[in-house]
Amino acid sequence: MEIQLLHRPGNTAAKVTLNPTEVCTAESGAMIAMSNNINVTTTTHKRGKGSILKAVKRMVAGESLFINHFEAQNTTGEVWLGTALAGDMEVMTLDNETLVVQGSSFLACEHAIEIDLGWQGFKSILSGERVFWVHLKGSGKVLISSFGAIYPIHVDGEYIVDTGHIVAFNETLDFTITKAGKSWLHSFLGGEGLVCKFHGKGTVWCQSHNPSSFGAMLGGDLRSR
Amino acid sequence: MQDNQYHVTLTGKIADATNIEHASAQFARLFKTTPEVAMQTLQKGPVTIKRNVDQATAIKIRNVLDKLGIGCRILTADEADAEARAATQNLSVNNNTSVKKDSSSPISDTFESPTDHPGLQFKIEGKPDYSFVTVQLPANQTLKVEASAMATMDTHIEMKTKLKGGLGRFVTGESIFINEFTAAHGPGEIGIAPGAPGDMMHVYLNDEVLYLQNSAFVASAMSVNIETKWQGFTKGFFSGENLFLIRASGKGDLWFNSYGAIIEIDVQDNYVVDTGNIVAFTEHLDYKISKVGGYKSLFFSGEGFVCRFSGKGKVWIQTRGVDAFAWWAHAYRPARSSG
Repeated sequence: MEIQLLHRPGNTAAKVTLNPTEVCTAESGAMIAMSNNINVTTTTHKRGKGSILKAVKRMVAGESLFINHFEAQNTTGEVWLGTALAGDMEVMTLDNETLVVQGSSFLACEHAIEIDLGWQGFKSILSGERVFWVHLKGSGKVLISSFGAIYPIHVDGEYIVDTGHIVAFNETLDFTITKAGKSWLHSFLGGEGLVCKFHGKGTVWCQSHNPSSFGAMLGGDLRSR
Repeated sequence: MQDNQYHVTLTGKIADATNIEHASAQFARLFKTTPEVAMQTLQKGPVTIKRNVDQATAIKIRNVLDKLGIGCRILTADEADAEARAATQNLSVNNNTSVKKDSSSPISDTFESPTDHPGLQFKIEGKPDYSFVTVQLPANQTLKVEASAMATMDTHIEMKTKLKGGLGRFVTGESIFINEFTAAHGPGEIGIAPGAPGDMMHVYLNDEVLYLQNSAFVASAMSVNIETKWQGFTKGFFSGENLFLIRASGKGDLWFNSYGAIIEIDVQDNYVVDTGNIVAFTEHLDYKISKVGGYKSLFFSGEGFVCRFSGKGKVWIQTRGVDAFAWWAHAYRPARSSG
Protein backbone atom coordinates (compact mmCIF):
# COMPACT_ATOMS: atom_id res chain seq x y z
CA MET A 1 0.00 0.00 0.00
CA GLU A 2 1.47 3.30 -1.17
CA ILE A 3 0.19 6.58 0.20
CA GLN A 4 1.00 9.79 -1.62
CA LEU A 5 -0.10 13.16 -0.25
CA LEU A 6 -0.91 15.89 -2.76
CA HIS A 7 -1.71 19.58 -2.55
CA ARG A 8 -0.44 19.95 0.97
CA PRO A 9 -1.04 21.58 3.30
CA GLY A 10 -4.36 23.34 2.71
CA ASN A 11 -6.18 21.10 0.31
CA THR A 12 -4.52 17.80 1.02
CA ALA A 13 -5.75 14.67 -0.66
CA ALA A 14 -4.25 11.21 -0.28
CA LYS A 15 -3.72 8.90 -3.20
CA VAL A 16 -3.63 5.33 -1.96
CA THR A 17 -2.25 2.81 -4.41
CA LEU A 18 -3.22 -0.76 -3.74
CA ASN A 19 -1.65 -3.88 -5.16
CA PRO A 20 -4.01 -6.70 -6.12
CA THR A 21 -5.86 -8.12 -3.10
CA GLU A 22 -4.50 -5.41 -0.82
CA VAL A 23 -7.10 -3.82 1.42
CA CYS A 24 -7.27 -0.29 2.76
CA THR A 25 -9.67 0.49 5.56
CA ALA A 26 -11.01 4.04 5.59
CA GLU A 27 -13.30 6.24 7.56
CA SER A 28 -16.77 6.37 6.04
CA GLY A 29 -17.28 9.17 3.56
CA ALA A 30 -13.56 9.73 2.98
CA MET A 31 -13.40 8.39 -0.58
CA ILE A 32 -13.50 11.11 -3.23
CA ALA A 33 -12.59 9.01 -6.26
CA MET A 34 -11.21 5.60 -7.14
CA SER A 35 -10.38 3.35 -10.02
CA ASN A 36 -13.04 0.98 -11.18
CA ASN A 37 -11.37 -2.24 -10.08
CA ILE A 38 -11.79 -1.48 -6.40
CA ASN A 39 -14.30 -3.48 -4.46
CA VAL A 40 -15.95 -1.70 -1.56
CA THR A 41 -17.45 -3.40 1.44
CA THR A 42 -18.92 -1.66 4.43
CA THR A 43 -18.76 -3.20 7.86
CA THR A 44 -19.30 -2.12 11.38
CA HIS A 45 -15.84 -3.24 12.15
CA LYS A 46 -12.79 -4.96 10.82
CA ARG A 47 -13.83 -7.77 8.56
CA GLY A 48 -14.10 -11.13 10.21
CA LYS A 49 -13.87 -9.61 13.64
CA GLY A 50 -17.17 -7.81 13.65
CA SER A 51 -18.57 -7.14 17.04
CA ILE A 52 -21.54 -4.95 17.57
CA LEU A 53 -20.13 -3.75 20.86
CA LYS A 54 -17.10 -2.31 19.14
CA ALA A 55 -19.34 -0.66 16.57
CA VAL A 56 -21.42 0.97 19.27
CA LYS A 57 -18.25 2.21 20.85
CA ARG A 58 -17.25 3.72 17.53
CA MET A 59 -20.56 5.48 17.33
CA VAL A 60 -20.17 6.89 20.80
CA ALA A 61 -16.81 8.19 19.71
CA GLY A 62 -18.46 10.47 17.22
CA GLU A 63 -17.08 8.28 14.51
CA SER A 64 -19.37 6.71 12.04
CA LEU A 65 -20.62 3.29 12.99
CA PHE A 66 -19.31 2.00 9.73
CA ILE A 67 -15.98 1.77 8.04
CA ASN A 68 -15.25 1.01 4.42
CA HIS A 69 -12.83 -1.54 3.07
CA PHE A 70 -11.34 -0.88 -0.34
CA GLU A 71 -9.89 -3.93 -1.99
CA ALA A 72 -8.05 -3.93 -5.30
CA GLN A 73 -9.23 -6.78 -7.47
CA ASN A 74 -7.00 -8.34 -10.11
CA THR A 75 -4.94 -5.32 -10.97
CA THR A 76 -3.38 -2.39 -9.13
CA GLY A 77 -5.96 0.11 -8.04
CA GLU A 78 -6.06 3.57 -6.56
CA VAL A 79 -8.29 5.32 -4.06
CA TRP A 80 -8.33 9.07 -3.43
CA LEU A 81 -9.20 10.15 0.09
CA GLY A 82 -10.19 13.60 1.26
CA THR A 83 -11.72 15.32 4.26
CA ALA A 84 -14.56 17.76 4.76
CA LEU A 85 -12.38 20.37 6.43
CA ALA A 86 -9.36 22.14 5.02
CA GLY A 87 -6.10 20.86 6.34
CA ASP A 88 -3.11 18.60 6.21
CA MET A 89 -2.58 14.87 6.45
CA GLU A 90 0.22 12.71 7.74
CA VAL A 91 1.25 9.13 7.07
CA MET A 92 2.54 7.23 10.08
CA THR A 93 4.16 3.83 9.93
CA LEU A 94 3.52 1.69 12.95
CA ASP A 95 5.95 -1.01 13.92
CA ASN A 96 4.11 -3.28 16.29
CA GLU A 97 2.99 -0.40 18.44
CA THR A 98 -0.16 1.51 19.25
CA LEU A 99 -1.11 4.98 18.08
CA VAL A 100 -4.01 6.75 19.72
CA VAL A 101 -5.86 8.95 17.23
CA GLN A 102 -8.50 11.51 18.03
CA GLY A 103 -11.84 10.30 16.62
CA SER A 104 -12.30 12.76 13.76
CA SER A 105 -8.64 12.68 12.71
CA PHE A 106 -8.58 9.02 11.73
CA LEU A 107 -8.76 8.66 7.96
CA ALA A 108 -7.41 5.28 6.86
CA CYS A 109 -5.05 2.44 7.66
CA GLU A 110 -3.72 -0.78 6.26
CA HIS A 111 -5.82 -3.83 6.75
CA ALA A 112 -3.28 -5.40 9.08
CA ILE A 113 -3.91 -2.74 11.68
CA GLU A 114 -6.44 -3.35 14.36
CA ILE A 115 -8.91 -0.55 14.97
CA ASP A 116 -10.36 -0.28 18.41
CA LEU A 117 -11.99 2.34 20.46
CA GLY A 118 -10.11 2.57 23.68
CA TRP A 119 -12.22 3.22 26.70
CA GLN A 120 -10.75 6.16 28.48
CA GLY A 121 -13.20 6.15 31.31
CA PHE A 122 -15.50 8.90 32.38
CA LYS A 123 -12.82 11.53 32.39
CA SER A 124 -13.19 11.80 28.62
CA ILE A 125 -16.97 11.94 28.60
CA LEU A 126 -17.06 14.57 31.28
CA SER A 127 -14.78 16.81 29.28
CA GLY A 128 -17.70 18.06 27.21
CA GLU A 129 -15.55 18.32 24.14
CA ARG A 130 -15.79 15.03 22.37
CA VAL A 131 -12.49 13.56 23.34
CA PHE A 132 -12.59 10.04 22.10
CA TRP A 133 -9.80 7.99 20.86
CA VAL A 134 -9.32 5.38 18.20
CA HIS A 135 -6.61 2.91 19.06
CA LEU A 136 -4.64 1.69 16.08
CA LYS A 137 -2.55 -1.31 16.90
CA GLY A 138 -0.13 -3.41 14.86
CA SER A 139 2.30 -2.87 12.01
CA GLY A 140 1.60 -0.90 8.89
CA LYS A 141 0.64 2.50 7.55
CA VAL A 142 -1.85 4.84 9.15
CA LEU A 143 -3.25 7.99 7.58
CA ILE A 144 -4.40 10.79 9.83
CA SER A 145 -5.84 14.19 8.99
CA SER A 146 -5.90 17.53 10.73
CA PHE A 147 -7.83 20.77 10.60
CA GLY A 148 -5.14 23.23 9.60
CA ALA A 149 -1.46 22.39 9.92
CA ILE A 150 -0.13 19.40 11.80
CA TYR A 151 2.92 19.50 14.03
CA PRO A 152 4.60 17.09 16.44
CA ILE A 153 5.50 17.83 20.02
CA HIS A 154 8.00 15.56 21.71
CA VAL A 155 7.02 15.11 25.30
CA ASP A 156 9.46 14.03 27.94
CA GLY A 157 7.93 14.70 31.27
CA GLU A 158 4.72 16.71 31.18
CA TYR A 159 2.97 18.78 28.55
CA ILE A 160 -0.46 20.35 28.20
CA VAL A 161 -2.47 20.34 24.96
CA ASP A 162 -5.99 21.67 24.52
CA THR A 163 -8.30 18.75 23.80
CA GLY A 164 -9.47 20.28 20.51
CA HIS A 165 -5.95 20.45 19.14
CA ILE A 166 -4.91 16.84 19.62
CA VAL A 167 -4.60 14.74 16.48
CA ALA A 168 -2.78 11.66 17.76
CA PHE A 169 -0.27 10.51 20.32
CA ASN A 170 1.88 7.51 21.16
CA GLU A 171 0.32 5.09 23.56
CA THR A 172 3.45 5.35 25.68
CA LEU A 173 2.02 8.64 26.92
CA ASP A 174 -0.50 8.70 29.68
CA PHE A 175 -2.82 11.62 30.13
CA THR A 176 -5.24 13.20 32.50
CA ILE A 177 -7.96 15.63 31.56
CA THR A 178 -7.68 18.70 33.65
CA LYS A 179 -8.43 22.38 33.76
CA ALA A 180 -6.18 24.95 32.16
CA GLY A 181 -6.31 27.57 34.87
CA LYS A 182 -5.93 27.44 38.58
CA SER A 183 -9.64 27.30 39.23
CA TRP A 184 -12.49 25.81 37.23
CA LEU A 185 -14.14 29.21 36.97
CA HIS A 186 -11.09 30.79 35.39
CA SER A 187 -10.63 27.89 33.04
CA PHE A 188 -14.09 28.22 31.60
CA LEU A 189 -14.12 32.00 31.51
CA GLY A 190 -10.79 31.89 29.77
CA GLY A 191 -12.33 29.81 27.03
CA GLU A 192 -9.79 27.09 27.49
CA GLY A 193 -12.21 24.64 29.07
CA LEU A 194 -10.38 21.39 29.36
CA VAL A 195 -6.92 20.38 28.45
CA CYS A 196 -5.02 17.17 28.26
CA LYS A 197 -2.02 16.89 30.51
CA PHE A 198 0.31 14.31 29.02
CA HIS A 199 2.97 12.59 30.98
CA GLY A 200 5.63 10.10 30.02
CA LYS A 201 7.79 9.98 26.93
CA GLY A 202 6.46 10.08 23.40
CA THR A 203 5.09 12.31 20.66
CA VAL A 204 1.84 14.22 20.46
CA TRP A 205 0.71 15.43 17.04
CA CYS A 206 -1.30 18.62 17.21
CA GLN A 207 -3.45 20.51 14.73
CA SER A 208 -3.09 24.25 14.39
CA HIS A 209 -6.84 24.84 14.55
CA ASN A 210 -9.60 23.61 16.74
CA PRO A 211 -12.59 22.35 14.70
CA SER A 212 -15.04 23.02 17.54
CA SER A 213 -13.93 26.64 17.80
CA PHE A 214 -14.41 27.08 14.07
CA GLY A 215 -17.78 25.37 14.26
CA ALA A 216 -18.88 27.55 17.14
CA MET A 217 -17.82 30.60 15.19
CA LEU A 218 -19.84 29.52 12.16
CA GLY A 219 -22.79 28.44 14.25
CA GLY A 220 -23.76 31.96 15.19
CA ASP A 221 -24.23 32.83 11.55
CA LEU A 222 -26.27 29.77 10.68
CA ARG A 223 -30.04 29.50 10.85
CA SER A 224 -31.22 27.48 13.79
CA ARG A 225 -32.39 24.02 12.95
CA MET B 1 -2.23 63.96 -5.56
CA GLN B 2 -1.20 66.50 -8.12
CA ASP B 3 -3.84 67.26 -10.64
CA ASN B 4 -1.83 67.17 -13.85
CA GLN B 5 -0.74 63.57 -13.62
CA TYR B 6 -2.85 62.03 -16.32
CA HIS B 7 -1.65 60.64 -19.62
CA VAL B 8 -3.83 59.89 -22.59
CA THR B 9 -2.73 56.83 -24.51
CA LEU B 10 -3.95 55.61 -27.87
CA THR B 11 -4.68 51.92 -27.92
CA GLY B 12 -4.09 51.51 -31.62
CA LYS B 13 -7.64 50.31 -32.10
CA ILE B 14 -9.95 52.17 -34.37
CA ALA B 15 -13.61 51.35 -34.27
CA ASP B 16 -14.12 51.93 -37.98
CA ALA B 17 -10.89 50.79 -39.52
CA THR B 18 -12.09 51.37 -43.07
CA ASN B 19 -12.43 55.04 -42.40
CA ILE B 20 -8.96 55.64 -41.10
CA GLU B 21 -8.38 58.55 -43.48
CA HIS B 22 -11.25 60.48 -42.02
CA ALA B 23 -10.12 59.67 -38.50
CA SER B 24 -6.56 60.75 -39.14
CA ALA B 25 -7.71 63.95 -40.85
CA GLN B 26 -9.76 64.83 -37.81
CA PHE B 27 -6.95 63.79 -35.52
CA ALA B 28 -4.48 65.93 -37.45
CA ARG B 29 -6.78 68.93 -37.17
CA LEU B 30 -7.16 68.44 -33.43
CA PHE B 31 -3.51 67.96 -32.67
CA LYS B 32 -2.24 70.37 -35.31
CA THR B 33 -0.22 67.95 -37.34
CA THR B 34 -0.30 66.54 -40.86
CA PRO B 35 -2.74 63.76 -41.76
CA GLU B 36 0.21 61.51 -42.69
CA VAL B 37 1.77 61.80 -39.24
CA ALA B 38 -1.65 61.33 -37.68
CA MET B 39 -2.26 58.15 -39.62
CA GLN B 40 1.09 56.74 -38.60
CA THR B 41 0.39 57.58 -34.99
CA LEU B 42 -2.99 55.94 -35.10
CA GLN B 43 -1.70 52.74 -36.62
CA LYS B 44 1.31 52.46 -34.41
CA GLY B 45 -0.45 50.79 -31.50
CA PRO B 46 -0.20 51.93 -27.91
CA VAL B 47 1.27 55.42 -27.88
CA THR B 48 0.94 58.23 -25.40
CA ILE B 49 -0.31 61.38 -27.06
CA LYS B 50 -0.77 63.69 -24.08
CA ARG B 51 1.29 63.74 -20.96
CA ASN B 52 0.75 65.37 -17.58
CA VAL B 53 -2.65 66.89 -18.13
CA ASP B 54 -5.31 67.23 -15.48
CA GLN B 55 -8.18 64.82 -15.25
CA ALA B 56 -10.80 67.09 -16.82
CA THR B 57 -8.64 67.70 -19.89
CA ALA B 58 -7.85 64.01 -20.21
CA ILE B 59 -11.55 63.15 -20.15
CA LYS B 60 -12.29 65.88 -22.69
CA ILE B 61 -9.67 64.45 -25.04
CA ARG B 62 -11.05 60.97 -24.58
CA ASN B 63 -14.57 62.10 -25.38
CA VAL B 64 -13.42 63.73 -28.60
CA LEU B 65 -11.41 60.66 -29.63
CA ASP B 66 -14.34 58.39 -28.74
CA LYS B 67 -16.51 60.34 -31.17
CA LEU B 68 -13.93 59.77 -33.88
CA GLY B 69 -13.88 56.07 -33.04
CA ILE B 70 -10.27 56.19 -31.90
CA GLY B 71 -9.58 53.91 -28.94
CA CYS B 72 -7.79 55.57 -26.05
CA ARG B 73 -7.25 55.23 -22.36
CA ILE B 74 -6.53 57.58 -19.51
CA LEU B 75 -3.73 56.50 -17.24
CA THR B 76 -2.19 58.07 -14.21
CA ALA B 77 1.52 58.68 -14.48
CA ASP B 78 2.22 55.74 -12.16
CA GLU B 79 0.11 53.36 -14.22
CA ALA B 80 1.78 54.50 -17.40
CA ASP B 81 5.22 53.85 -15.91
CA ALA B 82 4.18 50.40 -14.77
CA GLU B 83 2.78 49.55 -18.18
CA ALA B 84 5.86 50.78 -19.94
CA ARG B 85 8.00 48.56 -17.76
CA ALA B 86 5.72 45.59 -18.36
CA ALA B 87 5.82 46.22 -22.09
CA THR B 88 9.61 46.18 -22.24
CA GLN B 89 9.65 43.01 -20.16
CA ASN B 90 7.17 41.34 -22.47
CA LEU B 91 9.28 42.38 -25.40
CA SER B 92 12.41 40.82 -23.99
CA VAL B 93 10.56 37.60 -23.26
CA ASN B 94 9.13 37.46 -26.75
CA ASN B 95 12.51 38.09 -28.36
CA ASN B 96 14.11 35.34 -26.38
CA THR B 97 12.54 32.27 -27.88
CA SER B 98 14.57 29.95 -25.68
CA VAL B 99 12.47 30.95 -22.70
CA LYS B 100 10.20 28.01 -22.18
CA LYS B 101 7.26 27.60 -19.92
CA ASP B 102 7.33 24.83 -17.36
CA SER B 103 5.54 22.26 -19.41
CA SER B 104 5.08 19.86 -16.50
CA SER B 105 2.46 22.14 -15.03
CA PRO B 106 -0.73 22.14 -17.03
CA ILE B 107 -1.71 25.43 -15.50
CA SER B 108 0.03 28.65 -16.28
CA ASP B 109 0.72 31.08 -13.52
CA THR B 110 2.10 33.91 -15.58
CA PHE B 111 0.62 36.04 -18.27
CA GLU B 112 0.49 33.75 -21.21
CA SER B 113 1.75 35.12 -24.43
CA PRO B 114 -0.66 34.57 -27.29
CA THR B 115 1.77 32.15 -28.87
CA ASP B 116 1.05 29.58 -26.16
CA HIS B 117 -2.60 29.46 -27.03
CA PRO B 118 -4.70 31.66 -29.23
CA GLY B 119 -6.78 32.97 -26.34
CA LEU B 120 -6.64 35.94 -24.04
CA GLN B 121 -3.75 36.89 -21.81
CA PHE B 122 -4.35 36.08 -18.19
CA LYS B 123 -2.68 35.37 -14.88
CA ILE B 124 -3.87 33.01 -12.17
CA GLU B 125 -2.53 34.00 -8.76
CA GLY B 126 -2.94 32.60 -5.27
CA LYS B 127 -2.72 29.03 -6.49
CA PRO B 128 -3.61 26.51 -5.28
CA ASP B 129 -5.49 27.52 -2.14
CA TYR B 130 -6.92 30.91 -3.01
CA SER B 131 -6.80 31.15 -6.77
CA PHE B 132 -8.09 34.15 -8.66
CA VAL B 133 -7.58 35.19 -12.24
CA THR B 134 -6.75 38.50 -13.88
CA VAL B 135 -7.65 38.66 -17.55
CA GLN B 136 -6.29 41.22 -20.01
CA LEU B 137 -9.18 42.16 -22.22
CA PRO B 138 -8.37 43.69 -25.61
CA ALA B 139 -10.45 46.66 -26.71
CA ASN B 140 -14.08 45.92 -27.49
CA GLN B 141 -13.80 42.30 -26.45
CA THR B 142 -16.26 40.78 -24.06
CA LEU B 143 -15.85 38.21 -21.34
CA LYS B 144 -18.56 36.08 -19.77
CA VAL B 145 -18.17 35.97 -16.02
CA GLU B 146 -20.08 34.06 -13.38
CA ALA B 147 -22.38 36.49 -11.56
CA SER B 148 -20.79 38.20 -8.55
CA ALA B 149 -17.36 36.76 -9.32
CA MET B 150 -15.91 40.06 -10.55
CA ALA B 151 -13.56 41.41 -7.91
CA THR B 152 -11.63 44.22 -9.56
CA MET B 153 -11.63 45.91 -12.97
CA ASP B 154 -10.55 48.96 -14.90
CA THR B 155 -13.09 51.76 -14.75
CA HIS B 156 -13.76 51.75 -18.47
CA ILE B 157 -14.94 48.14 -18.51
CA GLU B 158 -18.69 47.97 -18.89
CA MET B 159 -20.91 45.32 -17.40
CA LYS B 160 -24.07 43.90 -18.83
CA THR B 161 -26.19 41.28 -17.11
CA LYS B 162 -27.46 38.50 -19.31
CA LEU B 163 -29.94 35.80 -18.55
CA LYS B 164 -28.05 32.74 -19.61
CA GLY B 165 -28.86 29.14 -19.16
CA GLY B 166 -32.58 29.74 -18.92
CA LEU B 167 -34.80 28.53 -16.16
CA GLY B 168 -32.54 25.59 -15.47
CA ARG B 169 -30.32 27.58 -13.25
CA PHE B 170 -33.32 28.71 -11.19
CA VAL B 171 -34.14 25.10 -10.40
CA THR B 172 -30.61 24.23 -9.38
CA GLY B 173 -30.43 27.19 -7.07
CA GLU B 174 -27.50 28.51 -9.01
CA SER B 175 -27.76 32.20 -9.74
CA ILE B 176 -28.95 32.38 -13.30
CA PHE B 177 -26.90 35.31 -14.35
CA ILE B 178 -23.75 35.44 -16.30
CA ASN B 179 -22.42 38.94 -16.57
CA GLU B 180 -20.74 40.22 -19.67
CA PHE B 181 -17.82 42.58 -19.27
CA THR B 182 -16.75 44.61 -22.27
CA ALA B 183 -13.58 46.64 -22.56
CA ALA B 184 -15.30 49.62 -24.16
CA HIS B 185 -12.61 52.24 -24.57
CA GLY B 186 -9.57 50.17 -25.26
CA PRO B 187 -7.95 47.28 -23.46
CA GLY B 188 -8.45 46.74 -19.78
CA GLU B 189 -8.04 44.17 -17.11
CA ILE B 190 -10.53 42.41 -14.93
CA GLY B 191 -9.90 40.42 -11.77
CA ILE B 192 -12.21 37.50 -11.15
CA ALA B 193 -12.43 35.60 -7.88
CA PRO B 194 -14.78 32.65 -7.49
CA GLY B 195 -16.83 32.13 -4.35
CA ALA B 196 -15.10 29.07 -2.95
CA PRO B 197 -11.43 29.04 -1.94
CA GLY B 198 -9.56 26.62 -4.11
CA ASP B 199 -7.82 26.01 -7.36
CA MET B 200 -8.52 27.28 -10.84
CA MET B 201 -7.89 25.83 -14.26
CA HIS B 202 -7.78 27.34 -17.70
CA VAL B 203 -8.52 25.41 -20.87
CA TYR B 204 -8.64 26.63 -24.41
CA LEU B 205 -11.51 24.91 -26.11
CA ASN B 206 -10.82 24.15 -29.73
CA ASP B 207 -14.25 23.20 -30.98
CA GLU B 208 -14.44 20.88 -28.02
CA VAL B 209 -17.01 20.29 -25.36
CA LEU B 210 -16.42 20.29 -21.64
CA TYR B 211 -18.97 19.55 -18.96
CA LEU B 212 -18.71 21.51 -15.73
CA GLN B 213 -20.31 20.88 -12.41
CA ASN B 214 -22.85 23.60 -11.81
CA SER B 215 -20.82 25.93 -9.62
CA ALA B 216 -17.46 25.38 -11.30
CA PHE B 217 -17.90 27.96 -14.05
CA VAL B 218 -15.76 31.08 -13.58
CA ALA B 219 -15.44 32.85 -16.90
CA SER B 220 -15.17 32.28 -20.62
CA ALA B 221 -14.58 34.07 -23.88
CA MET B 222 -17.67 35.26 -25.73
CA SER B 223 -17.06 32.65 -28.38
CA VAL B 224 -17.61 29.86 -25.88
CA ASN B 225 -21.17 28.71 -25.71
CA ILE B 226 -22.39 28.16 -22.15
CA GLU B 227 -25.58 26.22 -21.63
CA THR B 228 -27.11 24.11 -18.93
CA LYS B 229 -27.80 20.50 -19.59
CA TRP B 230 -30.50 18.59 -17.82
CA GLN B 231 -29.01 15.38 -16.47
CA GLY B 232 -32.26 13.50 -16.39
CA PHE B 233 -34.06 12.37 -13.30
CA THR B 234 -31.98 9.31 -12.57
CA LYS B 235 -28.67 10.99 -13.09
CA GLY B 236 -29.73 14.20 -11.44
CA PHE B 237 -31.85 13.33 -8.47
CA PHE B 238 -29.99 10.28 -7.35
CA SER B 239 -26.72 12.05 -7.48
CA GLY B 240 -28.04 14.25 -4.70
CA GLU B 241 -26.13 17.09 -6.23
CA ASN B 242 -27.10 19.26 -9.12
CA LEU B 243 -29.70 18.42 -11.65
CA PHE B 244 -27.88 20.35 -14.28
CA LEU B 245 -24.43 20.37 -15.68
CA ILE B 246 -22.92 23.26 -17.57
CA ARG B 247 -21.99 22.42 -21.11
CA ALA B 248 -19.24 24.61 -22.51
CA SER B 249 -18.60 24.31 -26.22
CA GLY B 250 -17.04 26.19 -29.09
CA LYS B 251 -13.68 27.87 -29.44
CA GLY B 252 -12.06 30.03 -26.82
CA ASP B 253 -10.88 30.42 -23.26
CA LEU B 254 -12.65 28.81 -20.34
CA TRP B 255 -11.80 29.11 -16.68
CA PHE B 256 -13.24 26.89 -14.00
CA ASN B 257 -12.62 26.54 -10.29
CA SER B 258 -12.89 24.05 -7.48
CA TYR B 259 -13.40 23.96 -3.75
CA GLY B 260 -10.08 22.57 -2.61
CA ALA B 261 -7.35 21.48 -4.98
CA ILE B 262 -7.97 20.14 -8.47
CA ILE B 263 -6.69 16.72 -9.46
CA GLU B 264 -6.68 15.75 -13.10
CA ILE B 265 -7.45 12.11 -13.80
CA ASP B 266 -6.88 10.42 -17.12
CA VAL B 267 -9.67 7.93 -17.54
CA GLN B 268 -8.63 4.98 -19.65
CA ASP B 269 -11.69 2.81 -19.31
CA ASN B 270 -13.51 3.33 -16.03
CA TYR B 271 -13.26 5.55 -12.99
CA VAL B 272 -15.42 6.21 -9.95
CA VAL B 273 -15.84 9.69 -8.48
CA ASP B 274 -17.94 10.81 -5.53
CA THR B 275 -20.71 12.99 -6.95
CA GLY B 276 -19.74 15.89 -4.69
CA ASN B 277 -16.16 15.93 -5.94
CA ILE B 278 -16.68 16.24 -9.69
CA VAL B 279 -15.44 19.51 -11.15
CA ALA B 280 -15.41 18.91 -14.88
CA PHE B 281 -15.06 16.19 -17.49
CA THR B 282 -14.53 15.86 -21.20
CA GLU B 283 -17.24 15.11 -23.68
CA HIS B 284 -16.43 11.59 -24.75
CA LEU B 285 -16.86 10.14 -21.31
CA ASP B 286 -20.09 8.44 -20.54
CA TYR B 287 -21.26 8.54 -16.97
CA LYS B 288 -23.87 6.97 -14.83
CA ILE B 289 -24.82 7.32 -11.22
CA SER B 290 -24.56 4.17 -9.17
CA LYS B 291 -23.88 2.96 -5.69
CA VAL B 292 -20.58 1.73 -4.34
CA GLY B 293 -20.52 -1.84 -3.18
CA GLY B 294 -23.69 -3.52 -2.04
CA TYR B 295 -26.85 -2.05 -0.57
CA LYS B 296 -25.29 -1.96 2.84
CA SER B 297 -22.61 0.31 1.47
CA LEU B 298 -25.24 2.47 -0.19
CA PHE B 299 -26.76 3.43 3.12
CA PHE B 300 -23.89 3.10 5.53
CA SER B 301 -20.67 3.74 3.67
CA GLY B 302 -21.08 7.49 3.88
CA GLU B 303 -20.37 7.62 0.16
CA GLY B 304 -23.96 7.43 -1.06
CA PHE B 305 -24.02 7.58 -4.80
CA VAL B 306 -20.99 7.84 -6.98
CA CYS B 307 -20.49 8.70 -10.60
CA ARG B 308 -19.02 5.99 -12.79
CA PHE B 309 -17.24 7.34 -15.82
CA SER B 310 -16.52 5.11 -18.76
CA GLY B 311 -14.67 5.70 -21.98
CA LYS B 312 -11.52 7.68 -22.63
CA GLY B 313 -11.11 11.21 -21.42
CA LYS B 314 -10.26 13.49 -18.54
CA VAL B 315 -12.01 14.10 -15.26
CA TRP B 316 -11.05 16.90 -12.91
CA ILE B 317 -11.90 16.26 -9.27
CA GLN B 318 -11.72 18.50 -6.22
CA THR B 319 -10.20 17.46 -2.91
CA ARG B 320 -12.98 19.03 -0.84
CA GLY B 321 -16.72 18.99 -1.22
CA VAL B 322 -19.02 21.89 -0.47
CA ASP B 323 -21.78 19.52 0.63
CA ALA B 324 -19.45 17.62 2.95
CA PHE B 325 -18.37 20.85 4.58
CA ALA B 326 -21.96 22.05 4.89
CA TRP B 327 -22.86 18.75 6.51
CA TRP B 328 -20.02 19.18 8.98
CA ALA B 329 -21.10 22.75 9.79
CA HIS B 330 -24.68 21.59 10.21
CA ALA B 331 -23.79 20.06 13.57
CA TYR B 332 -22.93 23.52 14.85
CA ARG B 333 -26.23 25.13 13.92
CA PRO B 334 -27.90 26.50 17.01
CA ALA B 335 -30.93 24.55 18.18
CA ARG B 336 -34.20 26.41 17.88
CA SER B 337 -35.27 27.48 21.32
CA SER B 338 -38.73 26.17 22.18
CA GLY B 339 -41.48 28.69 22.73
